[in-house]
Amino acid sequence: MKKLSVLALTVLLGTTPIAFADDAENYIKYRQAMMKAIGGHMGATSQLLRGKVSPKGDHLAMHTSALAALNANLAQLFPEGSDFGETGAKAEIWEQWDKFEKAASDAEAATAKLAEAVAGGDRAKITAAHKAVGKTCKGCHEDFREKDD
Amino acid sequence: MKHRCAIVVLLLSACATAGTDDGEYIFHAAGCLACHTVEDGEPLAGGRRFETPFGIFYAPNITPHAQHGIGRWTREQFIAALKHGVAPDGRAYFPVFPYPSYRLMHDDDAGKLYDYLMNRPAVAEPNRPHELPWWLSDWMIKPWQWWLQDEPPAPPGDATLTRGRYLVDALGHCGECHTPRDWAGVKDRTRYLGGTNEGPEGENIPNITPHRDDGIGKWRADDLAYYLETGELPDGDYAGSLMAEVIDNSTSHLTQQDREAMVVYLRSIEALPDP
Repeated sequence: MKKLSVLALTVLLGTTPIAFADDAENYIKYRQAMMKAIGGHMGATSQLLRGKVSPKGDHLAMHTSALAALNANLAQLFPEGSDFGETGAKAEIWEQWDKFEKAASDAEAATAKLAEAVAGGDRAKITAAHKAVGKTCKGCHEDFREKDD
Repeated sequence: MKHRCAIVVLLLSACATAGTDDGEYIFHAAGCLACHTVEDGEPLAGGRRFETPFGIFYAPNITPHAQHGIGRWTREQFIAALKHGVAPDGRAYFPVFPYPSYRLMHDDDAGKLYDYLMNRPAVAEPNRPHELPWWLSDWMIKPWQWWLQDEPPAPPGDATLTRGRYLVDALGHCGECHTPRDWAGVKDRTRYLGGTNEGPEGENIPNITPHRDDGIGKWRADDLAYYLETGELPDGDYAGSLMAEVIDNSTSHLTQQDREAMVVYLRSIEALPDP
């Protein structure tokens, strides 16, 4: 796999401006930071919904609107060529791009729905919408993320 | 507040008694679907590929189709297959099929599972033969099965621990992935649920003993139960890969009480550091 990546890199460097390869690689760190942010807001949302904490201010709206914003157009964080280096992204992302793009847009739709449910205020709807978001996270990780530990 | 708690407790116990012993519930708890279904394929029609150190195996069709599935099997034949790895023609199944775990299943539950499976839609999907190395044959599995007979007896414990162990060991067959195997493919009892880096599909399978650094010892009980329900880790990340399948097909369908029993049991076993 490594050899193949080096070969791919050589071919890439030979045919395209160096800036392109850099850009794609930069996306690895960036999307990891984004995923951490999403995870952070998701974890915080669960803790609020499970009634573990009740901080002052509308934290639920804060986290869920952030989730909706962070999940908008997720697929663009996976440009072709960002499959080398320290990444848990599987080659299947680019091999099955349509399926991946659909999974990413499912997450976008689910987080938008969650933010909407929070604005509406119906507790049962919020809990259901939050579970639905979790399903999209899990669904995508199942097919497209390398197990890390 | 006290009243509300009492109502919640009542509701929980009502849920628990309403369905935990019907065939569908046992089907979910035993996690049959994921392995016996190929991605986007007909449920339970088999075909999923398992690459192992002992060859490549294909899960069989377990729909009630008379020719390709298990439609002609009697209840007794089904229980013998499920719990003892013996096919209706007397041959031994390779232990890719987790009968070394299922043999702890109560006959009653196995019978309910039979009834449930016999009422699924039959699918005419022929089984694909396994691709075995030259030295491996099913007759070698007979002595291997005999070797398994000395299962340690269940540790004494209260009803919750007993239920938790039953869900983890017999139905959930967690140890099939989370316990490492020796050279002969037998689960290493001294490393019970201690994880392995030679798991199915080449995955690293984590240590789920209560060891504080290497296992789940720092997890809170309610976070563990929540994980089994939703797949969310305490840091907000979501499980992927094989465990996501287990959660979707199995543990998310259990009652909260059963998930909690699993957690109580897992936290009671010996804490093992990684080797």
